[in-house]
Amino acid sequence: MTFKKKGNSAEKRTIAEVNEKIKKGDVQVLTAEEMKKLVESSGVEVAYKEVDVVTTGTFGAMCSSGAIINLGHSDPPIKIHRAWINDVEVCHPGAAVDLYIGATIMSETRPFEYGGGHVIEDLIRGKDVEVRATAHGTDCYPRTKLSTTLTKDDLNQFYLLNFRNCYQRYDCATNSRDETIYTYMGKLLPRFRNATFSGSGALNPLMNDPDYETIGIGTRIFLGGAQGYVIGEGTQHDPGNRFGTLMVRGDCKKMDPEFIRGASFTKYGTTLYVGIGIPIPILNKGLAKKTTILDEEILTDIVDYGVPRRERPKLGTVSYQDLKSGTITIQERKIRVSPLSSLKKGKIIAETLKSWIENALFYLSSPAERLPIDTNLKPMKQTEEIPFVNDVKHTAITCTEDDEIRAVAERIINRSINHVVVTDNEGRLRGIVTSWDITKAVAEGKKKLSEIIVRKVVTTAPDEPLETASRKMAQHQISALPVIDHNRRVLGIITSEDISKLLVR
Amino acid sequence: MVRILLRFSEKLVENPITAQVILEYGVPISIVAAHIDSQGGEILVEVPSAHVDKVAEAFREKDVIVTFPKLIEVDSKRCFDCGACLSLCPVNAISFKEDFSVVFDQEKCIGSPCGICVDTCPARAIRLVEKHGLV
Repeated sequence: MTFKKKGNSAEKRTIAEVNEKIKKGDVQVLTAEEMKKLVESSGVEVAYKEVDVVTTGTFGAMCSSGAIINLGHSDPPIKIHRAWINDVEVCHPGAAVDLYIGATIMSETRPFEYGGGHVIEDLIRGKDVEVRATAHGTDCYPRTKLSTTLTKDDLNQFYLLNFRNCYQRYDCATNSRDETIYTYMGKLLPRFRNATFSGSGALNPLMNDPDYETIGIGTRIFLGGAQGYVIGEGTQHDPGNRFGTLMVRGDCKKMDPEFIRGASFTKYGTTLYVGIGIPIPILNKGLAKKTTILDEEILTDIVDYGVPRRERPKLGTVSYQDLKSGTITIQERKIRVSPLSSLKKGKIIAETLKSWIENALFYLSSPAERLPIDTNLKPMKQTEEIPFVNDVKHTAITCTEDDEIRAVAERIINRSINHVVVTDNEGRLRGIVTSWDITKAVAEGKKKLSEIIVRKVVTTAPDEPLETASRKMAQHQISALPVIDHNRRVLGIITSEDISKLLVR
Repeated sequence: MVRILLRFSEKLVENPITAQVILEYGVPISIVAAHIDSQGGEILVEVPSAHVDKVAEAFREKDVIVTFPKLIEVDSKRCFDCGACLSLCPVNAISFKEDFSVVFDQEKCIGSPCGICVDTCPARAIRLVEKHGLV
């Protein structure tokens, strides 16, 4: 890296001064990665003197995204009640022909595979889309039905309007359950066999300006390959816990599908991958220091997504350096970990933004207002209580593998139950036997219990919502689930009867 | 090991060609899947990497059609290099290059018996190549 010599270093820089340098073509821009290397070799003092702007970048799944479009008026005119684009229902929040394409809304004909995110991408690519709409019909807007084909060129406005993007960092997700689960954090294999994470770590925009000194309302940014703006803090903005978010807006007609993509998470749904890059002007020495944050200094929790609760169990802490290495340690086991964000594209975004600024294609803007730095995330106020497995579980009738079929059959009759849970001497789950298994064994002349035990048992945990347990029973077409703890010790059982009783209570 | 697909025409089925190649070259060839009848057929075999060229040439000399089947296809235009597939692959056939580009190792991939990566791809860029008519 070589730098142009400068005169006396000023204690502070202004955005106007930086823009003046951009205009003259002698601005010094480094990507956040280059800045970290410079500080390592030459120190913060030199970095502050020499560098005017540090660029950042991230490219990840950002579900709270969407686009506002205006169709123009039809003749005769229509005041849209409901509308669909490529079979994806679009929201109609305003007057006659304004529509909002939500990224996570799924196609009615191809759910989980095609959704609002894909509609946005297809429009940006210049593809034709099919628009359908219905309306009540009024004196001023008589039309009740509409069907047309259009491209982005036919739209009056087509703006990305994302209400929560660019999470500063995110949890690392893994799964304790005995089955693969499909989440918004991707496919998580059973028993901690893999993990996933999101975000670009030390290259994340908000990590490089964590006190929101330069990022505020009106900050010009790289958004989806075009220039966009920060229009506020994002929903759930929680800067104190380093979970800051942004609300952003940008002109989709100028965007590049390389940096904005529809995506599908199996059995979760559709979303939009958004590319965001933010220039951090190095206005003071403190900012120069903050942009040196390293992956190893950014920590996040390993969270068990196998527990479908708001507060999911935390299994440990990892750094983004660990996450980017591809392997982390959970309960003393090495686990492979995948990013969901594209680290490659994050870098390309930081580099692209750097070249825009160097070539005077992009000027920095002073925020009109700072973002709040004291908000936090409140849970939902709930007026209705949700039952959990713990609320309905009862004692399980158990046996061991050595018991005779006859003894187990007697237990089933005496207790008038249908399921006997097989445990070892320490009360840990070994299998399950149903009255049907016993009947079958008698018919086939089998004597030993071990021959008929069902060893692959679907289980539940006390803190699982009853609805989830009930869904498991329906999925596997079974009528009871042993309730177990983390050590597979049997705590009880719940049956479909327990659930039906609860419904009529 | 490298997998190669051998196609036999109707005229060739009578001849013990695979056995001849094994005997002539002394190379172990393991048969992964095979389907042959009087009309002709296909055999998917695994050959040690060092002998692939020699074995392929030997089969070709005996009028067998030799191809190197791709088990997985990645649409590089759709793939945006997130790497969501990396931690799932049981044979470590998927990895990052230094610049975090995702690369697939066709030789390590075991294809359709696995396919665990296919539905994890948010870009839907991964496709298993259809079986080659083998039963």
